[in-house]
Amino acid sequence: MKSKTFKKGISVPHNKYAGASALKDCPAPQTVYIPLAQHIGKPATATVAAGDVVKAGTLIGRADGLVSANIFSSVSGTVKAVARLKTPTGACDHVVIENDGQYTEQRLPALKDKSGESLLTRMREAGLVGMGGAGFPSHVKFSPKTAVDTFIINAAECEPYITCDYRLMKERAAEFIRGADYLARILGLDKFFVGIEDNKADLVDVLNAAAQNASVRAEAIMLKSKYPQGAEKQLIYAVTGRKVPLGKLPADVGVVVGNVHTAYALYDAAENGTPLFRRTVTVSGGAIGAPSNLWVRTGTRYSDCAEFCGGVSDDCVKLLSGGPMMGFALGDLEYSVTKTTGALLALTAAEANTLQPQPCINCGKCARACPMNLMPMYIDAYTRRGDYASAKKYGATSCIECGCCAYSCPAKRPIVQSVRLCKNKIRELKL
Amino acid sequence: MKTVSASPHLTRKGNSTRSIMTDVLIALSPCVVAATVMYGYHVVINLVTCLIFCFCTELLYNLIVSKKWNREGVLRSSVFDLSFAVTAVILTLNLPAVMPVDIWGLTVFKGTGEIAFSFDTVILCALGSIFAIALVKMLFGGIGRNFANPACTGRIFLFIAFGGAGAFNLTSSLWADGMSTTAATWLGTRNVVTGGMLLDMFLGNTATAAVGETCVIAILVGYVYLSARRVIDPRVPLMVIGSLAVFAFLFDVVPSGARGANMFYSTVAHVLSGGLLFGSVFMATDYATSPNTFIGTAIYAVGIGLITALIRAFGSFPEGFSFALLIMNIVTPLIDKYIVPKPFGYIKPAKVKPDKQVAAWQSGVTDGKGGDK
Repeated sequence: MKSKTFKKGISVPHNKYAGASALKDCPAPQTVYIPLAQHIGKPATATVAAGDVVKAGTLIGRADGLVSANIFSSVSGTVKAVARLKTPTGACDHVVIENDGQYTEQRLPALKDKSGESLLTRMREAGLVGMGGAGFPSHVKFSPKTAVDTFIINAAECEPYITCDYRLMKERAAEFIRGADYLARILGLDKFFVGIEDNKADLVDVLNAAAQNASVRAEAIMLKSKYPQGAEKQLIYAVTGRKVPLGKLPADVGVVVGNVHTAYALYDAAENGTPLFRRTVTVSGGAIGAPSNLWVRTGTRYSDCAEFCGGVSDDCVKLLSGGPMMGFALGDLEYSVTKTTGALLALTAAEANTLQPQPCINCGKCARACPMNLMPMYIDAYTRRGDYASAKKYGATSCIECGCCAYSCPAKRPIVQSVRLCKNKIRELKL
Repeated sequence: MKTVSASPHLTRKGNSTRSIMTDVLIALSPCVVAATVMYGYHVVINLVTCLIFCFCTELLYNLIVSKKWNREGVLRSSVFDLSFAVTAVILTLNLPAVMPVDIWGLTVFKGTGEIAFSFDTVILCALGSIFAIALVKMLFGGIGRNFANPACTGRIFLFIAFGGAGAFNLTSSLWADGMSTTAATWLGTRNVVTGGMLLDMFLGNTATAAVGETCVIAILVGYVYLSARRVIDPRVPLMVIGSLAVFAFLFDVVPSGARGANMFYSTVAHVLSGGLLFGSVFMATDYATSPNTFIGTAIYAVGIGLITALIRAFGSFPEGFSFALLIMNIVTPLIDKYIVPKPFGYIKPAKVKPDKQVAAWQSGVTDGKGGDK
């Protein structure tokens, strides 16, 4: 079978060191710090105060408005404080909980009625969000305003190093397939696609067998291992041949794309009544002692995860939350694992880019790599000159920030940084 | 505290400005060797002169601008990207082996009447280097910002400024045979072409104006290397050469009255002569001075082929490649301005049908309702 794909893009070294490592539980630390903003939209409102006793699965933050999500305690114990602490992208209120080590659970009642409507309600109750990184509240995404005829599970996992979705699908294939079927049901569909990069071809048989067992109509689509295969627009094009128009949503072309872990989380919430308070995280990179895939309770500090995997060695130059192409660089490890944390990476100088930018030589490699068919060199140049209107003309607002341009750049120009600056300036100046 | 910077945090290994320039230098080396074999030690003298002057000009310019006359200023200068060396080598290969300026009389002759050492040539090489680096490249902002190919412009400067003084009239090929003992290349004479002549042209057995242009095999090796290393788009030289062949056939071969196989031979001679092959591989593919889109590059390449053919057919110079390249270099920003790729998912904005009332208002006829809308 020929693997499907999109136009342009780049090939990156996969470095999936943790691919063979089975998921294992990462012990929760003595104190967990659970952020109330683990999603896009408004942060949840704290429903607990210092001194309250909570169980694993107790609601500690209520969704504030439509685009928001519930937050649950991940351990049992006592709330010590609600404090404003730093996050990789800023700061937000954290619920600090003293772990009593008992892990007594509080669950939602198991869902009897598996109709789309009640599943959607359960999705909102359980605090589900897109767990691929953006964290868009799922109940908003799964109630599209336009008719949807295709549902795709994004199992491309095109970012180097990350393997947690792969392990989850491999080890919990039956649960994943059922969860994905529930997601499809919410959309009123009885069939869905699973887009898988061909470097994980062994999953195809596993998933097909699981789908057959559960009598679910799922089709695994083999995709070429190329970055950014998992970018929403590129994935939709590869699977369906449809192009999402600029400034529109996938639902406008009748497609919704869902995340692997979100599907699993919905299964867990519907069958077991477990709200979303733990997820799989890949801890990897050349500076990590034993790269592994972990089940981590939200609010666990990155430093605890790293410690559990053998610690970070001294030759580490960069710490990342998320994948190396789109993740955030961290100054230290004093951050919490959230619903959207897919990976914690510690890269050595041999892996990470540590070079200083040089002048653009106009080679055009960025334009040849850009999966959105933009002209990144001009966006960078005009942004640096402060001419944001011209930068917009060359596609600054259409950029998906995948980083293909900066990866390919021989002069090591920080093109994505320019694009982000430009987007902010365009918003600020209302260009 | 670790480094915090914007994503992506990876970069392609072994991919830097310097590695690209090193690749170009490697690709140029067969041409340097071929030129040295054919034209002797003069080529080496010219090359060393150009390298020294290009290096010094760029370094000096950097130091003057940064005002850091110390170790740090040197370390932070742009000379380490090796682009000066590419300019120097291409300039050398674009010049004749010796360029004696008659009125200076600085040429030292051997007893046999051959030129032993030409101090004029050294001066001209130095001038060309300074012109190329300082004026064309650094003054416009350094690497990536030059409006035209520095080496090409340096050559044209020397050609125009000193061509009348005899500098470009004399070449001496060690392999020169009956066909080309004088200075004239095929483009100068336009003799009837034979198969043997074509083979000579292919191997480099001709006297030409520029030392790097002769050996087609050396150029081909460079072309294959650059294409394999993905430094250049292999389609660009092919488009330049292809369009020249078509236009030369139309403008020169057909009017010359050649018939039958001669038409083919003459067209091939056009392709193999002059600076076309060397220039299309090493100069037309220059990053800064060629368009950034494939369609733009195609227009640029066809433009070079067309203008070269026009100059060859109707111009007062036998060869026109460097002029054609320079003209298209200058047109490049214009091409890049108008040829902008459509982003993935772009939809043409639908034409808004003019509102009837607005149309009526615009035409001056109002129905009493739509006046101020």
